[in-house]
Amino acid sequence: MSRMPKRGSAGITRRGFLIAMTAVGVSFGFPRHLMAAMDPASPDGKVLPSEGDIYEPSLWYSIDTAGKIKVNIMRSEMGQHVGTAIARILADELEASWDDIEIIHVDSDPRWGYMVTGGSWSISQSWPVYRQAGAAGRTALIEAAAKKWGIAAKDCKASNGKIISSKGELSYGELVTMGLTRQFTEEELKTLPLKPNADLKLVGQQVTSLDIANKTNGKTIFGIDAKVDGMVYANPILPPTRYGSKVVKFDDSAAKAVKGYQQTIVLDDASGSVPGWLMVIASSFNAAQKASKLVKVTWDAGKTANVSEADIIAHGKQLLGDQTKGSILDTGNTDTGPVFASAKSTIAEEYITSTVLHAQMEPLNALVFKNQDGIWEVHSGCQWQSLTLPVLATALGEEEANIVIRSYMLGGGFGRRLNGDYTIPAALTSKALGGKPVKMVMIRPQDMLFDSARSASVQQLKMAFDDKKAVTAMEHHATAGWPTQVLAPGFMPKGTNGEPFDPFSIAGADHWYTVGAQKVRAVSNDLAIATFRPGWLRSVGPGWTGWAVESFMDEAAHHAGKDPLQFRLDMLIAEGRNAGSTPVAEGGAARQAAVLKKAAEMIGWGTPQAKDTALGIASTFGQERDMPTWVSCAVQVHVDKSNGIVNVQKLYIAIDAGIIVDPNGAEAQCQGAALWGLSMALYEGTELLNGQYKDSNFDTYTPLRLGQTPEVKIEFIPSKMPPSGLGEPAVTPVAPAIANAIYNAVGVRLRKIPMKPSDVKNALTKA
Amino acid sequence: MLKRIVYGVCGAAIVGLGIFSIYAWHPAIDPVVPTQTDYSPQVIEQGKILAAAGYCSTCHTPPGGTAYAGNYEMHTDFGTIYSSNITPDLETGIGGWSQAAFARAMRTGVSRDGHHLLPAFPFEHFNKMTDDDINAIYAYIMTSVPAVNQVKKDNGIPFPLNIRWFQAGWKLLFADTQAFEVNSKQSAEWNRGAYLAEGIAHCGACHTPRNALGGEKYDQMYQGAAIDGWIAPSLTSTSTSPIPWRAQDFYEYLTTGNSPYHGSAAGPMAPVMHKGLSALPDSDIEAISGYFAEIARTNNTDDPDSSSTLQAAIAAQHQQPDQRIDEGARLYATACQACHYNSDQLVKGRPLITIGSATHLNDPTNLINVILDGVRSDQGISGVVMPGFRDALSDEDITAIAAYLRQAAGENTWPKLQQQVGEIRNQPRFEH
Amino acid sequence: MAKFILNGKPMTADVESDTPLLWVIRDELDMTGTKFGCGIGTCGACTVHVGGRATRSCITPISSVEGAEITTIEGLSEKGDHPLQISWQKLQVPQCGYCQSGQIMQAAALLKDIPEPSDKDIDAVMGGNLCRCMTYVRIRGAIHEAANAIKENNDEQNA
Repeated sequence: MSRMPKRGSAGITRRGFLIAMTAVGVSFGFPRHLMAAMDPASPDGKVLPSEGDIYEPSLWYSIDTAGKIKVNIMRSEMGQHVGTAIARILADELEASWDDIEIIHVDSDPRWGYMVTGGSWSISQSWPVYRQAGAAGRTALIEAAAKKWGIAAKDCKASNGKIISSKGELSYGELVTMGLTRQFTEEELKTLPLKPNADLKLVGQQVTSLDIANKTNGKTIFGIDAKVDGMVYANPILPPTRYGSKVVKFDDSAAKAVKGYQQTIVLDDASGSVPGWLMVIASSFNAAQKASKLVKVTWDAGKTANVSEADIIAHGKQLLGDQTKGSILDTGNTDTGPVFASAKSTIAEEYITSTVLHAQMEPLNALVFKNQDGIWEVHSGCQWQSLTLPVLATALGEEEANIVIRSYMLGGGFGRRLNGDYTIPAALTSKALGGKPVKMVMIRPQDMLFDSARSASVQQLKMAFDDKKAVTAMEHHATAGWPTQVLAPGFMPKGTNGEPFDPFSIAGADHWYTVGAQKVRAVSNDLAIATFRPGWLRSVGPGWTGWAVESFMDEAAHHAGKDPLQFRLDMLIAEGRNAGSTPVAEGGAARQAAVLKKAAEMIGWGTPQAKDTALGIASTFGQERDMPTWVSCAVQVHVDKSNGIVNVQKLYIAIDAGIIVDPNGAEAQCQGAALWGLSMALYEGTELLNGQYKDSNFDTYTPLRLGQTPEVKIEFIPSKMPPSGLGEPAVTPVAPAIANAIYNAVGVRLRKIPMKPSDVKNALTKA
Repeated sequence: MLKRIVYGVCGAAIVGLGIFSIYAWHPAIDPVVPTQTDYSPQVIEQGKILAAAGYCSTCHTPPGGTAYAGNYEMHTDFGTIYSSNITPDLETGIGGWSQAAFARAMRTGVSRDGHHLLPAFPFEHFNKMTDDDINAIYAYIMTSVPAVNQVKKDNGIPFPLNIRWFQAGWKLLFADTQAFEVNSKQSAEWNRGAYLAEGIAHCGACHTPRNALGGEKYDQMYQGAAIDGWIAPSLTSTSTSPIPWRAQDFYEYLTTGNSPYHGSAAGPMAPVMHKGLSALPDSDIEAISGYFAEIARTNNTDDPDSSSTLQAAIAAQHQQPDQRIDEGARLYATACQACHYNSDQLVKGRPLITIGSATHLNDPTNLINVILDGVRSDQGISGVVMPGFRDALSDEDITAIAAYLRQAAGENTWPKLQQQVGEIRNQPRFEH
Repeated sequence: MAKFILNGKPMTADVESDTPLLWVIRDELDMTGTKFGCGIGTCGACTVHVGGRATRSCITPISSVEGAEITTIEGLSEKGDHPLQISWQKLQVPQCGYCQSGQIMQAAALLKDIPEPSDKDIDAVMGGNLCRCMTYVRIRGAIHEAANAIKENNDEQNA
């Protein structure tokens, strides 16, 4: 997710994110910070005190008199080892010794700027900021040493935590001890010379991430582990519909038999996050969840109590059928009508994806209370503090300045914790109890039923060909429930027809293939939005647009009678708008062609396969055109015709994400993302049934398990280009690569995910 | 079980109320204040061992209650009954019972005051014991069990079923009143095993099927029966266990609570071995094991590890159906396999369910019971537990798992399984 | 009052007898390394050892572990240096880390019973442990790595 509106349009721009995250910042010292932050490498996450005075060349780190460097990380840690990667960028530019580095995940203080962890943005956005910050420190330390020695700064050199010259060596700790106050303006920072990328020493090298050890011995502290004295436990009772349910009455007489049960309250939520909710309060988690099952509630259900998956899909098709609906993206020449009218041949297909649940391992939870200073403290893992704070403010009837979200490790994010709605019931309960600490832990079915699922989607694609079967035009019409429309409408840019669209729900349809006239239309599925709260789920829109585009490209290649690999390569021409304009996107379609070739080489494209076995390939650009991560997937798939079982034997990914800051962490992200792609292609998916998700626990919701994991290989294209993102992109080409391989193996085309054995069998029967 | 017994009582009463009324009458034996306390330590110790081996405390102690003080609750369709206080309390226990009164109760099921005890009390088996052994138990209780003043709760059995001398007719019809007879064709060890199994351990009380009126069918001794919501499997050659029970298997099962080739002692069998037989010396367990191996007609020199049955079962684990098309296989792999999978060798503590006796019984009760309520640390292998899935998995889920296992074990499907799972889930839970 | 041995130390907990072991460990005894995932024994995040065997603590009532010896991730090794913890660090298995206590505890039980597991053995025994970050490739690798380390160590001691 991450296509930001252009400058001048409503909302906070991508550039706005960068401006908000300056390298200068303002420092006030860290008394509160020490209490509020978390060091994932120290036992129980406690930040160790600094030695003596500290020097803060920028907001983003401090150096103490012992030379220890605390790096402030405003990104949430949910498995990316993001703190380690960001600290590597800083330490490299600062010429610090890696052994001196400590990372600190900070709370939601406004001085950190706009806090969000998603969109695979963290490294790409932190790259210039922490490099400038590192350069500032290095410059100040060199100047101080030069002054001490009475020589010119140019005769001093920073290396491994020391300034070195012909006069000797001074450690960073010694220089801080002598007293350092040098500060930089934003303008000065921009002019500071950075190391050439070729001279980077820590970036790109293997490192053990600083959060790893605690994650093997049980010492990592997640939100669910938060505890304060005197807290009570709360467990929610969810209404029959996501919106519009009203509590008519409740009877807690049976719950009173549960030892430790205290009371049940009906929430009054000005933020609209949790309408129709009740909270059951008890002295222990076990008592609260036991009692909540015994409270009998009567609701007036909302209007969507009868809406099911088929209704959402049917509504989507109806919307796409109405050409006046939706927003047209700027893809250059969008006037496809005449081209299709005069085309020699055309193809058109429809692709569907099912509702998918986040099902992150740590169930949603939050601990909220009003502290002695009158500040509301929210203790919970969170991906988008800056989006969650205003909602908390509305719910609590407080100024945002009086609310702070404390930092915890996240037991999985995958986009679920971008939407901070789960903090609201705990906050409202604490408010109802006069600010008393309330810890809410949802049981798994509550977590899942309250999910902001990845919406089901419907996409219709058309392609026009000339008499030589060359592509002359393409249309892509897509509809789904748009998370951004519900949760952050300020991030919605306008299309060429003046209609707003959710960039995260359509990115990927505006691909890098040169197809002549190209029309991309994004339509919001209002029935989906009314029935549930769509969420951003790992890879968001490209998770479905990639499925459609890359399945369709194979169908088009077969129509044109061309090899699917060559068909794609022929259209990946790095010219015009496909040359790539932003620094990260430089190289454009040529880089996508390179990862395609790499993936083909890895799998041995063209080699003969066993019976009912075939290769499949697909390629996407990750998340968005201005921050593309070029990725291709090649799979080897066997299909058992007797039962429709699709067995993926090899899952290979070639990827170009620019400079790879942390190679091990990058590989891990791609392994996980590729397996998410596999999981959503073959194993997981749910459906809406009478206004709720049909599946609510792992007895019926079935993400990929270890035994279903094929051989996975990840290869990165060596690059000196600025880094893009890695958390999501490898999700996106997997499903179409598998569908393409199935077609190549047994000649049937599947256009809906997940592709279940029964779907394959039905298709084989029809064929 | 008790339900069937109560039917029996009822039937017996209707058939022969008049005829048996004279037979049914037993005099009270006057209460005494027992004065003898000078039993030899050996006799008391012997009594203690036998009281344990007869798991007297299991039925005479409620969960968490005081040992032998009674009021262990047994649920039946006809109401709830409670066991008696057998501590030596003068007022509420058996403190006022003479040795003769105690022996009469043990041998004929008649209380000191002359009333008939419900046949839940297995006096027919205790009758096989020697006078010395019965007296030793008496000595142990009178000298070593602390007296507890606790009034027995009234049984909730309605009139006229609560008229206990109806029992008398039942006894005449069905009770085995024979004393234990040594079988001279068998070894001394076998006879020792038979004496213990038929007497104090009263194995047949659960493992021998009963007729419609609740009497043990002696011609089908040890052929298996339903008891307390469980199935006591057949111990004879009619056993459906795919791997024969050798003497050493019985021995391992009775000493550790588990036989890797057959399963764990759960339900009512758990206290039998953990709280009961474990008190007996090894030689006695060996004797019982030998006795049952002889009854099961197994060849003790067979090596189950090399049996084709076991090899096939181990190999079958590696050829499971894809989880995407077999719901039971998926749930089994998700919730069960981590503990029940074996590589190429069977490991004790990793029960291979497809050879387990519960999977091969004609009735799914035992398998479903274990899935629902697991195995506590004081059941099966000591200190190890299996969690229960009662509040975790639905009837549908459990049915799928059980059906999958049954099929994987090469047996016919259990008919109406889901309905049975629902019934087993809702049947009264006996605390053992 | 429930009594049991936790990581070698006798413990008592004054809780309702149906309280799952997981919540006794986490909330009463403040050892939070063991995690809550699904509450129905299908994800493995709550895995501890009872009597040396991997056990899903979320569906194990405290009443059923009376007197038993329980080991949690905090007690698997004295210094966090069980061969599996070492291989887990070496291969950088954890991503978010939430499921990893359960994964490691399950893997430790696996290696006790099956010291040199094949991929199939690992798939079968680890199949109840979900990892939503999908670190499966590395979990497999780290189990083999630890198995080799244990074997080499044993070989050295026997040499």
